[in-house]
Amino acid sequence: MKATTAVRLALAGTRADAVRVVLTACSAALATFALLAALTVLAIRTPPDTGSRFAPWSEQYGSALLREPGLRPGVAIALILLMVPVLALAGQCTRLGAPARDRRLAAIRLAGATPRQTTAIALAETGLAAVTGTAVAFVGYLVAHEVLHRPGPDGTLALPTDVLPSVPVLVAAGLGLPLLAMLAAVVVLRRVTISPFGLVRRQGRNRAPWPWPGILIVLGVLLFGAFGPLQRAEFKLPDWIGRIPGWLVVIPLFGGAFLASIGVVLGAGWISYTTGRLLRRFARRPAPLLAGSRLMADPWAGSRNLAALLACVLFAAGAAGVRSWFTTQEAAQAEANRLAAGPGPSDIGPGDSFHLQTMDLVNLAVLVALVIAAGGLVVAIVEGIVTSRRTYAALVATGVPRPVLGRAILWQSLAPAVPAILLAVTVGVLLPRSLQSEARTGGSSWEVCDASQALCEDPVTRAQYTRIVEEPAIIRSIPVPFDELALAVGVGLAAVLATVAIGLVFLRSSTDLEELRVG
Amino acid sequence: MTILQARGVVRSYGQTPALRGVSLDVHEGEILAVTGPSGCGKSTLLHCLAGIMRPQEGEIHYRGQRIDTGSESVRSKLRRTEFGVLFQFGQLVMELTAAENVALPLLLAGTGRREARTAALTWLDRVGVADVADNRPGQMSGGQQQRCALARALVTEPRVLFADEPTGALDTLTGEQVLGQLVRVTHEQRTTVVLVTHEPRVAGYADRELTMRDGVLDETEAGIAVPSGRHGR
Repeated sequence: MKATTAVRLALAGTRADAVRVVLTACSAALATFALLAALTVLAIRTPPDTGSRFAPWSEQYGSALLREPGLRPGVAIALILLMVPVLALAGQCTRLGAPARDRRLAAIRLAGATPRQTTAIALAETGLAAVTGTAVAFVGYLVAHEVLHRPGPDGTLALPTDVLPSVPVLVAAGLGLPLLAMLAAVVVLRRVTISPFGLVRRQGRNRAPWPWPGILIVLGVLLFGAFGPLQRAEFKLPDWIGRIPGWLVVIPLFGGAFLASIGVVLGAGWISYTTGRLLRRFARRPAPLLAGSRLMADPWAGSRNLAALLACVLFAAGAAGVRSWFTTQEAAQAEANRLAAGPGPSDIGPGDSFHLQTMDLVNLAVLVALVIAAGGLVVAIVEGIVTSRRTYAALVATGVPRPVLGRAILWQSLAPAVPAILLAVTVGVLLPRSLQSEARTGGSSWEVCDASQALCEDPVTRAQYTRIVEEPAIIRSIPVPFDELALAVGVGLAAVLATVAIGLVFLRSSTDLEELRVG
Repeated sequence: MTILQARGVVRSYGQTPALRGVSLDVHEGEILAVTGPSGCGKSTLLHCLAGIMRPQEGEIHYRGQRIDTGSESVRSKLRRTEFGVLFQFGQLVMELTAAENVALPLLLAGTGRREARTAALTWLDRVGVADVADNRPGQMSGGQQQRCALARALVTEPRVLFADEPTGALDTLTGEQVLGQLVRVTHEQRTTVVLVTHEPRVAGYADRELTMRDGVLDETEAGIAVPSGRHGR
């Protein structure tokens, strides 16, 4: 088969296929843009070392997040994390119009295409969409790079528009994302057997999910908690043992968060199945009974649909925990300063420090990710309704009222979402608490010389004007930020409810009795 | 001369047996009809003979070569080059035009687009639907779609055409027309046809008829190949 044939067959779809291609391209563009932004931050050059204890700052930028070399990796990681919901959205988009695409691929198989050729056709679609999206993102990035390169009145730059990632890095980013998208498409298609009968068989898992993702969550939290001791060891280990490299110290932090997130997302499959079983066991009304059966029939659908949303809620809860830690630490520091300096206003008031401002940025990133995740959930719910339209139409034809179907869809979405979101919030808040459950400050002492520099530097007079200031040790337990956690749960559930409401708009047209006549 | 041979073919769906040790010979150039009631296993037999499905026991030989042990890719290639397959419905790609559908097997085999289109138009003309070459299946009648599918099954000039209830979704008159086209064209091409049907009227177009019941063949005409069809081939 020639490449042009593969492209022609890949793009021969209907309007739903066109929407899928456009959404995949948009997701690829967003992900590429986030990646390029992260790479640009990492490309900022640190000025030559002046021998100071701290690395020199890049003073050409207005924001401390870009100026401080120590903060830039965090900014880059935050930008890369923004790719997660975008890629999840792309994953949901691949399911849009999937039945029609699978039918088309089956018909092509019937015409004599080999399994490899049908996979190549599916990959051609994803690859073309991803390449287009990546190309658009590159153009947008370069244009933005030029247009936004305007120093402010103080001569500093708002964004790192004075640097570009190296050419090999740009090439790797440009090729990597389309390849990643195509790899994801292969993974999605791995369970789809397109037979030449014109039938598509999804090889489902027959056995019920096990709660083994709980092990991942426990491991993740333990690994995350190991960051604290490791970090302390980096500074305290005797020289003869040798210092632990910085990158090794960070592994438990990100590895633990990753493991716990995966555990929560996969655990949603078991939660879906269990809630479905409970609904089937205890429900008496048709809507929850129907929802229970559907949850048990495909428990992983809930896991797939809620994955990005759960990751967002987990990070939001984690961010709330970190914010609580910072706030407590600042309050303890302010108290220590006040005690050390005597009566008078403290120079650091809780709630307005640099770290807390950084957490505001993290919250903003989580909110953006949540909106993208909700978009993915809308796609999933609408796709689920459209895919089952003949079943729904048959139910309506046999006398099931449409509101019952609507409530069944609501039960199906909300029943697993409530425990899954609660689990995500719990794990999210456990992560920072495994690291630190109390804020400590003070306990140290230092000399203060209350005289002129000359008197203080003179060994004869120095002792006369010098006093020892002892900072009292302040230990405060970090409170659980219940209000912020409740907000995270509320926003998560509101997102689910809103997406179900949007999805139900499509229910009426999808339960039209004409659907039964469609061949 | 035997072109296709099945020996002791067994196939089950879970606990339900579909074929219980079927053996038969298909002779080159003949039209063989396999008839029987719904669920007797005739479609499963056709799928096994065409390499669409693998038997669980037994062997299938095509021109002396065993084909049931080949990989899916090998069997797909065989279906694209040596075999043609015609189903009751659903085999056309709804998003492609009639000409593109007919050209598809050639395009999949690497033939150039222009050459494939020329061949497709020729075949659409031979089965009498050249006027709908640029229409999509949704814009064609059932009979036109089936003739288009026939053209697609024959565009690679296969040696064997497998037809599974080819007129099952058509009214009697249209069915007669499609069968007439099928018999005429395959006779011109010297193509062997294996036809599965539950309609005696359709089986009447065949040179030889085998009846199947509960996964076992009952050769009512003693397996003797008739040199010419009973409907004036």
